[in-house]
Amino acid sequence: MLDALPTIVLTLLEGAVTAAQVALGAALIAFTLGLLLALLNVFTALAVVRTAIGVYVEWMRNVPALAHLFILYFGLASIGVRFSPKGAAIVGLGLVGAAVLCDVFSAGMRALHVGQREAALACGLSPMQALRYIVLPQMLRLTLPAIGNYASQLIKDTSIASAIAAPEIMFYARNLVTSTFQTPLIYASAVVLYASIVFPVSWMFNRMERRLGVGR
Amino acid sequence: MSAFFQVYREYLPEWWPRLLDAARVTAELSTLGFLLALLLAALLVAMARSRSPALRLASNAVVQFVRAVPLLALLLALYFGLPAFGLTLSGYWAGILGLGLQGAAYVAEVFRGGLDSVHRGQREAALAAGLTPRQVFTAVVLPQALRVMLPPLVNCYVSLLKDSSLCALIATDELMLAARAMSSEYFLPLHIFVLVGLFYFAIAFPLSMVSRLLGRRLSRGRRAMGTT
Repeated sequence: MLDALPTIVLTLLEGAVTAAQVALGAALIAFTLGLLLALLNVFTALAVVRTAIGVYVEWMRNVPALAHLFILYFGLASIGVRFSPKGAAIVGLGLVGAAVLCDVFSAGMRALHVGQREAALACGLSPMQALRYIVLPQMLRLTLPAIGNYASQLIKDTSIASAIAAPEIMFYARNLVTSTFQTPLIYASAVVLYASIVFPVSWMFNRMERRLGVGR
Repeated sequence: MSAFFQVYREYLPEWWPRLLDAARVTAELSTLGFLLALLLAALLVAMARSRSPALRLASNAVVQFVRAVPLLALLLALYFGLPAFGLTLSGYWAGILGLGLQGAAYVAEVFRGGLDSVHRGQREAALAAGLTPRQVFTAVVLPQALRVMLPPLVNCYVSLLKDSSLCALIATDELMLAARAMSSEYFLPLHIFVLVGLFYFAIAFPLSMVSRLLGRRLSRGRRAMGTT
């Protein structure tokens, strides 16, 4: 029974490459867009903008990621906007992540004392400099645990991309099942593979938190 | 734009009852899954607080492991893997079991955090006042811990509700699977998936708001207590 194991592991690792690409791509979108939205959300005086961001965040966070992927992949294709499975997964998980990180970053910036920014401005820093050197570094340190949680959640969520046939770990696992019938062995390998990706990532974040003295 | 809504005007009477039926299954999956999660989490926390190091280690290992594994892998393993060991579950029950296991890992963290939030002096004072350990737990520690636990517990339920959509991939007739079937029947995937998204939103959003309001009220109360 175990002689199929090398094939299974190698095939699943191929899926892990796609999963890593999806996770990194989505993380990039989530981080950039999330930060942008959070900055707009905290610093804009326009109620319209805040409401629009609120609607976006709530829609993204209260609807399953699977529904977002189906809307992007099947829904938009019907009006002529076509994504590859991998592309839809990256954009979909990225847009969901942007909403999550927008909440995290907004809360982080609101938790910083206003005095920090005011003092920076009073010292003659430009608003951009105050943001770059005073507000953002402290905010990122403060939100590091939440970012770490998001990162491991994102790695696990890449598995959903198999539902739109993106060739990641669960996709290969299901293919392997139909070709080798080693069902328990295959799913056990997939589960161990995910754990062996998620554990080092959360360990790394824990280490960074300790280094930076978060929560002290 | 009006053409987009015209489609809903035309098809909604056909879609509505089917989605409503499927929404009932979604509600059952997430609610039963959540109840199972509460039960398992209580067990995990009891193990984590026991005197036996082996039980403490086992509890921690289960929580860490389940948190590192995607729900989809768990569901597929339960649904397709268990029959090899002679235990065949329907998609419905495999879904509830999977959601319960996954939820338990998160609920256990909420329980642990809630119990830890009650100051040690409370327990000591109650014991000194002559309450039995059981009374201390049910009459002094638990009521205070519940206040702290309530908002994150509601969030756990919302997460399970959204995660229950993955049960579509193990052939459970819930919202997502109904939507997939309908989209290949009517060839209107955008309309159908947006509508099904609204179904989830209609349940999840009010609960998220309740959790946020509760959290704000409770933290206000605690701060006031701290200052007096």
